[in-house]
Amino acid sequence: MNVGIFFAVATLLASCLALSPTDTLSLDDQARLKQLFEQAIPFQSVGHAHYAILGLSTLGATIPKAQDACSYLKSNIDTSDIQSIYHAASAAKALGNCKIALGAGQETLTASLSESAEVADLFFAVSTQSALGLPIKSAEVVKALDTGLKRDDSILGTSYALHIASQLSKETNVDKYFELIEDIVAQADTIDDKYLQFDNLQQASVFVTGAYTLATKVNKKPLITDEQAVQLANYILTRKATQTIRNAYLVVAALKSFSGNTFQVPVAFSLSGSMAISKEEPFVKVGVSDVMSKSLGKLTVKASSVVGREDDKTLASNQAFAATKDETIYQLDLMKSKPSPGFYIIQLAAAAAGGKPAPHLIGLTDGEVTVKVTTQVSISNVEISVVDREQSITAKTVKATFPTKSKSTLDADVHQNVVIKFTLADKSGAVLQAHQTFIRVFNVKSNQEVTFTADSDSSDAYKFTLDIAESGKDFFNQQSGKYTVDLIVGDAIIQNPFIWNVIDINLKFPDVGQTDEDDKPSQYSKKPNLEHMFRVPEKRPPVAVSTAFTGLVLVPLAMLVILWIKLGANIKNFSFSLSALGFHGGLGAIFGLLYCYWAYLTMFATLRYLAAIGIFTFLCGNRLLRSIAETKN
Amino acid sequence: MSANIVTVLRKFYDEYTTKTPRKLKIIDAYLAYIMFTGIIQFVYCALVGTFPFNSFLSGFISCVGSFILGVCLRLQVNPANKSGFHGVSNERAFADFIFASIILHLVVMNFIG
Repeated sequence: MNVGIFFAVATLLASCLALSPTDTLSLDDQARLKQLFEQAIPFQSVGHAHYAILGLSTLGATIPKAQDACSYLKSNIDTSDIQSIYHAASAAKALGNCKIALGAGQETLTASLSESAEVADLFFAVSTQSALGLPIKSAEVVKALDTGLKRDDSILGTSYALHIASQLSKETNVDKYFELIEDIVAQADTIDDKYLQFDNLQQASVFVTGAYTLATKVNKKPLITDEQAVQLANYILTRKATQTIRNAYLVVAALKSFSGNTFQVPVAFSLSGSMAISKEEPFVKVGVSDVMSKSLGKLTVKASSVVGREDDKTLASNQAFAATKDETIYQLDLMKSKPSPGFYIIQLAAAAAGGKPAPHLIGLTDGEVTVKVTTQVSISNVEISVVDREQSITAKTVKATFPTKSKSTLDADVHQNVVIKFTLADKSGAVLQAHQTFIRVFNVKSNQEVTFTADSDSSDAYKFTLDIAESGKDFFNQQSGKYTVDLIVGDAIIQNPFIWNVIDINLKFPDVGQTDEDDKPSQYSKKPNLEHMFRVPEKRPPVAVSTAFTGLVLVPLAMLVILWIKLGANIKNFSFSLSALGFHGGLGAIFGLLYCYWAYLTMFATLRYLAAIGIFTFLCGNRLLRSIAETKN
Repeated sequence: MSANIVTVLRKFYDEYTTKTPRKLKIIDAYLAYIMFTGIIQFVYCALVGTFPFNSFLSGFISCVGSFILGVCLRLQVNPANKSGFHGVSNERAFADFIFASIILHLVVMNFIG
């Protein structure tokens, strides 16, 4: 049971929170759009002209060179196209004092009013008729519209039906078209509980303008819930930065409908001016207006609650805002509540002045703005000391006062730590924690700097310890020398963030010579050239040794000759026949050829010669040996 | 003991000089020449080094190959082995020896570098 109630309340709260537009078409936006419309001159087409002229007149601006625009419409109207006729007629009506002659367009108009016409063409035709002040035959239009809707029940088609219905005669019953509103809005998608979105801006804009025009005609509140209306307005406002004439007109027309109707006017709460609140600027200024930044008349605006964003503590509730000269702007002196510095969320509620009920204003109790209370920060109890690492004996302590730099210089080496203590306070003297506190240590000679964060301890005092030995390795690259220490304090809620040059310190690191990294050549530097190296030949023996062995190898040959002579080789038997000479000559030639092969010939040449000599030698040898064998036998 | 060996060697030498045909003695002299040449090359290689190795190899292989071919010739020519090489005349054996030697030295020359 309790859980159920809780959920019901939670859902109610959630839906309530989304019930106020988050943005408006500010005066700056309107000026920008106005400029956009004016830049459309000279017009590129009748459509452009129509959107620009209607956009300007919706914004309440005068149309420059109205007569030029009128003659442009007259000369560029395409009488065979009902849309072109509609653009020209509507634009001419908005210009005033500009008569468009239909001429041949009359036939186009009549054709577009038949039952076979599309809903969009029917809308163009009916709008043309009402723009030109021509009589509208309501009964026929209803018939054509019903037939058209059977064919086309798209969002755009049904939205056009709303427009058509709103232009019919008073006697015509348009309730069935009025009920279409509910069907169309049900087809839109909700995004993040904040936006109600159609497929495109045109659908949304045509629907919104049609719905409120028809509602005005029948004098009934359209079947759009307040929440849906706000979400639709939010969606259209997201498109206000458009750069095209057509979309700009669609945005302006839809927002004008939200602003100008008598049933549902979303009330937008926005912060006007800076969100920073301080002693000098104590006023929270809130703009309360419709989505066109137009005044909603006299209102009473109050802050139903002011809650700190971080700590959720309620600072104040039910604080009435005072009206200012500008009817849309209300202000509240928040400093009267003595806020501590920080961000605050202000829930806003408005009501019509004098307690008059204003049922058409929606989102009146759902405004929310965020402001920050800023302060001047002061720094005190600044102490810089050099402490021994091991025994925690303080070697030297220097006190410093903001904003002067301490005249003394500290010396510290790797056996010591440098400890910096300070306290931040706001103007009232309360201890403050800044979002960003840094200690910057800067090498005067090399212009290298290292920045550390300083953290506050439990008593909200800041204490920063610089371990010389550790940081020397990690950050300072063991560079001894004079360093200057800066303290940097900043926060979104601090009006006077500062960088204070506190003191100079001489840091002494052990000399380690060049580090390895310095010795290493950069990986991008030029590498030594690679050169191909042939195999180095092995050392050869001295010439004497090899010559001696060459001689030695010849010794057995001499021995062979001697042995053969001693043995009495049968040389006398040598016959000087042709074959014998050829055989021995051939063998000698083969040995000569082998030498030539070793010295310079290739294998192929050698084989060729060898074949010739070989065959000759073979023939000679064959004959010789055969004759020897025969004589023997 | 030593007298024994001397007696044996003398007897062996006498037998060799008297009983071995002169043809075989000529081949033996050739074989001895080949063997000593090979030994000297090997000694050079052991003392000085194998560089250039292919030259050493071809020289040494030339010796070994020639020695084998010579032994083969001697086997075929030896009258004691007549039964084993029936139909192979001395001249035919010599021609084969010459042919094989030429092929062997063609390869050796190719490898000598």
